[in-house]
Amino acid sequence: MNRVYRYPLSVRITHWLSALCLGVLAMSGMQIFNAHPALYASNTSNFSHPVLAMHGEADHGGGPLGYVKIGKHRINTTGALGWGPDGMGQQAERGFPSWATIPGPQDLADGRRWHIFFAWLFALCALIYARWAFALWPSAKDIRAVPAALKEHLVPWRILPTAEANPLQKLSYFIVVFAITPLVIVSGLALAPSVDAWAPWLPALLGGRQFARIWHFAGMLALMAFFVGHIAMVALTGMINNLRSMITGWYGLKETS
Amino acid sequence: MRRPQFLAMLAGSALTGCSRLATSLDDNAPFHRLLQSPEKLDLAILGAGQPLAREYPDRDISADFRQNGFDLPSSPEYSRWSANGWRGYRLFVSGLVESPKSYDLAALRQKFRTRRQTTRHDCVEGWSVIGKWTGARLADVLADCRPTPQAHYVVFHCLDDDGSGTLYYESLDMRQAAHPQTLLAYELNDRPIPLKNGAPVRLKVPTQLGYKSAKYVARLELVADLGGANGMGGYWEDRGYEWFAGI
Repeated sequence: MNRVYRYPLSVRITHWLSALCLGVLAMSGMQIFNAHPALYASNTSNFSHPVLAMHGEADHGGGPLGYVKIGKHRINTTGALGWGPDGMGQQAERGFPSWATIPGPQDLADGRRWHIFFAWLFALCALIYARWAFALWPSAKDIRAVPAALKEHLVPWRILPTAEANPLQKLSYFIVVFAITPLVIVSGLALAPSVDAWAPWLPALLGGRQFARIWHFAGMLALMAFFVGHIAMVALTGMINNLRSMITGWYGLKETS
Repeated sequence: MRRPQFLAMLAGSALTGCSRLATSLDDNAPFHRLLQSPEKLDLAILGAGQPLAREYPDRDISADFRQNGFDLPSSPEYSRWSANGWRGYRLFVSGLVESPKSYDLAALRQKFRTRRQTTRHDCVEGWSVIGKWTGARLADVLADCRPTPQAHYVVFHCLDDDGSGTLYYESLDMRQAAHPQTLLAYELNDRPIPLKNGAPVRLKVPTQLGYKSAKYVARLELVADLGGANGMGGYWEDRGYEWFAGI
């Protein structure tokens, strides 16, 4: 079988560690968000005009109601967002439900401990990973090949393994490593008052501290969207070969699954 | 079962599993200590200097300085003081100082140079408001009482309690206490501090999260160490929050 050594050990380790970190960061981040489930597009909180907010009412015309308010629009999300399981066998007013948060029950103090610990680990992984990821810098040839690659990805299960990552892969990994990851790290730092004392320009650059929270939240959503696409492509383009390559480093060039 | 439903269920139970596993890990003492370990690193990096929190023009002041925390102090003295223009209230400085003293509001205003700052208040919950604070530098008040060389922390004993009788308290190390923006404030937005915001005197530490800025301060105590009888250094610290509230 033809095969190629695609991922060195440091990349494989940091890949899986980053995956773990991102999972924990998203879930503990939602725990932190739940302490004040509202976002504001300014430096301070204009409490009566959030851009996005989650609310719940125990009794709204005979039953509980949970909803997400985006601007003036309300979306009924009873049971999931605004009103949902509290992790202690009850339903309660909560932003994100207990099954999506770390820890499960409402616990801001411990949610912060998890978040800050894994933020350090993630930043470390991202640094090591980024050194390798520079090879993903898309060339002019890659950009020209994007339309063809897009067409190819309409039927992903027919994509044949090649020695080099395809242009869409390169582009999406590049955006994740060099745009979204720096954004979530920088916007997260801007939320810390002591960091802001050292670098007052940091929250200002992002539209203010509360706006930095929006960037941080949007970055999380973007990473989740990437995660869904990534998992789908891994599953559809030769799952065994793909998974094995990120464990052993060796990527088979012939369809082996 | 259809495929999308099956996938959704799979994802849902995977998440539930992660959350449950993490919740049980959270209760594991050695693991919890590991989770707490970055705090010392954060303090070493971010607490290494005395950078100033950004100060804002008056037009940025929030219309309402949101109230958070406990109800008003429930002691009869507090009600009496507030009804009598704070006559009878004194701020005490005790512990490891060469000259323990107490100050009434007039003494705080006259004895120490008046400092003003319009800074952002970031609550640990996530929201922010801007307020203009007037008061004395904590450093000036401490210097007046001459802390001994053994004094390493200032503990702030407050008048408000959590409803079950446990009083609020906070603490700073001497470096944080010496920060030029660390104030013992008696005015918010050019008026005496409203009751809900910590009247008559509250601490203001704009380089850390809101819970450091203890309200209703009655007594400063200089101590050699935290821990033991001095708790973890604060009401919320005793409940798992970071002592260094800079993040």
